[in-house]
Amino acid sequence: MSGHSNWPEWIYVAVVIALMAWVGAEAWEAERLVEHVPADAKTIIVTGQQWFWTFEHEDGTKEIGELHVEVGKAYKFEIVSTDVNHSFNIHDYVVLIDAIPGRVNTVWFAPDKVGEHDIQCREYCGLIHYNMRGTLYVTEPLS
Amino acid sequence: MKFIFGFLLIIGVLVIVPAVDFAFAAGDEPGKYLDRRAVIWNLFYKMMTVAFTVGSVVSGTIIWQVWRFRESHPKAKPTSYEGTDW
Amino acid sequence: MTLELQKPRPIWQIMFSTHHTDVGLLYLITSLTFLFLGGSLALGIRAELFYPGSQIIADSMTFNRIFTVHGTTLIFLFIIPFASAVGNYYVPIMVRYKDMAYPKLNAIAFWMIPPAGVLIWLGFADFTWYATPPYSIISAPGPAADMWIFGLKILGISSVLGALNFVVTILKCKHPDMSIGQIPLMAWAFLSSSLIIIVAIPTFAAALLMLLTDRLGVSGFFNPAMGGDPIAYAHLFWFTFHPEVYVLVIPAIGMMYEIIPRFSRKPIYSYNSGVFAFVMLSIVGFSSWAHHMYATGMSFTEKTVFMVGTLAAVPASAMHVFNFVATMWNGRIRFATPMMWAVGGIALFFSAGAGGVVNSAMPLDFTTHDTYWVVGHFHLFVMGTIAFGSIGYLYYMFPYVTGRMYNETWGKIHFVLSFIGTILVFFTQHVLGLYGMPRRIYDYPPIPEWIAMNQIATVGAMIIGISMAIFLANMIHSAGKGKPADTDDPFGLGGKYYYPFEAKNPSH
Ligand code: HEM
Ligand SMILES: [Cu+2]
Ligand SMILES: [Cu+2]
Repeated sequence: MSGHSNWPEWIYVAVVIALMAWVGAEAWEAERLVEHVPADAKTIIVTGQQWFWTFEHEDGTKEIGELHVEVGKAYKFEIVSTDVNHSFNIHDYVVLIDAIPGRVNTVWFAPDKVGEHDIQCREYCGLIHYNMRGTLYVTEPLS
Repeated sequence: MKFIFGFLLIIGVLVIVPAVDFAFAAGDEPGKYLDRRAVIWNLFYKMMTVAFTVGSVVSGTIIWQVWRFRESHPKAKPTSYEGTDW
Repeated sequence: MTLELQKPRPIWQIMFSTHHTDVGLLYLITSLTFLFLGGSLALGIRAELFYPGSQIIADSMTFNRIFTVHGTTLIFLFIIPFASAVGNYYVPIMVRYKDMAYPKLNAIAFWMIPPAGVLIWLGFADFTWYATPPYSIISAPGPAADMWIFGLKILGISSVLGALNFVVTILKCKHPDMSIGQIPLMAWAFLSSSLIIIVAIPTFAAALLMLLTDRLGVSGFFNPAMGGDPIAYAHLFWFTFHPEVYVLVIPAIGMMYEIIPRFSRKPIYSYNSGVFAFVMLSIVGFSSWAHHMYATGMSFTEKTVFMVGTLAAVPASAMHVFNFVATMWNGRIRFATPMMWAVGGIALFFSAGAGGVVNSAMPLDFTTHDTYWVVGHFHLFVMGTIAFGSIGYLYYMFPYVTGRMYNETWGKIHFVLSFIGTILVFFTQHVLGLYGMPRRIYDYPPIPEWIAMNQIATVGAMIIGISMAIFLANMIHSAGKGKPADTDDPFGLGGKYYYPFEAKNPSH
C-alpha cells in the first residue's frame, strides 16, 4: 500500500531509535564506571573446577568453598578455571564473570556491610553444576 | 505534534541529566569505592521505568484496539475493502 | 491436497512424493510430533523444579540430558520444520509456480530430519543446546555427545538445502508477470530467513566438525589443554545462532502478515515497510552475536560494539509491531482462533524484546546472564511469539489441509489457557532471574522467593500442558470428524485467499 503518507511510522521509528540511543548511552556510562578497578584493590585468585571454588588471598592463604573478606576494602578477583567453563557469581553484589580455562578474567567489588552471601556457579559445567556453591563472609576489619 | 516534541524533550533530559550526574559521581579517592550494586540496579530501575511506560502504551493500544475494532462492537462498520477482491 | 482425508491415498504415496504439498504435510506432521515430545520434557523439568530436592527426576545427569534435548528438539525439530511446512505449502503458490524449484532436493532436505531426530533422541546428550567446549570435549559422555553432533550436522545441511530451494523458487521461479515487489510479505519472510540460513549456518557446520575432531583427540581447536581456545567456539556458534533467532522469528512474523490483514478485513498497512524491516533484520542480525558473550571477559570496546549492533536491530522489529497495529486500526476484526493467536503473539513480542534490550545493555547483563531471566526472555520469543504465530497459522491452514473445520470453541480455549500459562511461566522466570537463580540447575537451595516463583512457573507450565492436550485432541478429532469447511472462504472474510489445494498434485 505504498503511496499513502507514512509520517506516523517515521515518528515512531525515530522514537524507537532515540530510546535505543538512550539505552546505549546509559549502559555505556554505567559499564565504564563499574569496570574501573580501584588502584588499591587487593587481589584474590579464584579458581573454578568441577565442582568447587578455591580462593587464594594476596598473602598466600587459601580457602575452599568459603571466602572471607573485610568490609570497606576493595577486592579484585582474578578468575581462572582448571577444567571446563564456569561462571563466578556473587549475586547480592552483582559480581559475575566466567571462569574460562586458559584465560584470566577480572572483576572487582567493595563489600560495604558485614554479612553472608551466596557464591554460585552460573555457567553450566556438568553433573554437580547445580551445587557448585560457596559462601562469602564479609567481616569487620581485623586491624 | 506538541506532544511529540514534549516526548522527545523528556527523553533528551533522561539522557543528559544522569550522564552528567554519573560523570561527577565517579570518584577515585582511596577508601571510597563506587558501589557497583547501586550503579547497576539504578540503571535497571531506570530502564524498567521507561520499559513499563512504553509497554503500557503499546499494550494499551493493542488492548483498546482489540476491543474497539472487533466485528461485534456496536460501532463496527465494514472496511472499504470488503466486497472487493483485495 | 486439501481433500487429503476425503480422497485417501496409501501412505507410501505421500512419503515418496516430491510434490511440495506432500513434503509440506510430512514436515508438518514431523514438526508437531516433536512439539509434543519436546513439550513433555519441559513438563518434566518444571515438575522437578516445583520444590527443592529431587521430585520426579532421579539424578542431575538425567535432568541435564532432558533440558538439552528439550531445547534442541523444540528449536531444530519443531520451529524450523514447522516453518518449512508452511513454506512448502504456500511459497510456490504465492509466487505462482507449480512446485518448489528442486522437488527432489526438497524431499531429500525433509528426509534428513527424521534420522537426525532419532540420533538426538537416542543419544540424549547432556551438554546443553550449545555444546560449549571444553565441557563438550573433555567432559560430556559419548556416544550421546557424538550422536548429537552428527544429528545437528545433518539438520544444518537440511536447513541449507531447504533454504537454497526457497531462494531459487522465489527469485527464479516466480511468475514472470509478478515483480519481486508483488510477492506477499510471507514470501518475503521466507526469502529473508533463507538468505540468513545460507550465510549463517556454514560457520556452525565448521565448528561442529572441529568439535568432533577435538572430541576424537586428533585436534585441539577449542581445547585449552592442546593450545586451543574455547572462546573461538563461542564466536563461531553465536555467529550462526544469533542470526538464527531471526530465522526462527521471521517466518512466524510472515505468518502473522497473512493472518492479521485477512481477519481485519483490510490490506496490510505498509507492504514496503514490512519488506524493509525483513531485509534490515536479516542484515543487522549479523552484527550482534557476541552479546551472548559479555561475561566471557571481552574488552569494553568489544562489548560496546556488540551492544550497539544489537540495539541497531530493534527499530526493524518494532516496525513490524507498528505495521500490525496500524493494519488492525479501523478494521472489522473477526477474532477466530488464528487471529487470537496472532494478536497474542504480537502482544508478547514487546515484552520479549524489552527483556532482550536489558540483556544487551552491558552492565545489566551481570544481573541477567545465565539466570532464569534469560530463559524467560527467549521463551517469550520462541513460545510467546514464534509458537503462537505458528499455531495460529496451523489453525488457519487446517481447513485447507483437511477440508474440515477445527472446533472453534476448543481452539479459543486452547489459546486462552496457553496465553495465561505463557505469562505465568515466562514473566515469573524473569523475576526469578533477578533473584539470582541460575539456569540449568537440577536442584536449588530452599530460598523462599525461589520456591514461590518456581511453583508459579510450574503451575503455568501445567496449564500450557493441558491446553496442548486439548489442541492435540481437537486436531485429531476434527481432521476426521470435523464439519466440512467451505474451502473458498472458510472463515467468512471475503477477499482473495491463497488456496494450497489449487496446487496441482500429480498423484491426485
Ligand atoms: C527475534 C527473536 C529472538 C529470539 C528467538 C531470541 C532468542 C534468544 C535465545 C535463545 C537466547 C538464549 C541463548 C542461550 O543462552 O541459550 C537469547 C539471549 C539473548 N537475547 Fe535474544 N532473542 C530474540 C531477540 C532478541 C532481541 C530483540 C534482543 C535485543 C534487543 C535480544 C538480546 C539477547 C541477549 C543480549 C541475549 C543474551 C543474554 C545472556 O545470555 O545474558 N534477543 N535470545
Ligand atoms: Cu557450573
Ligand atoms: Cu542473540
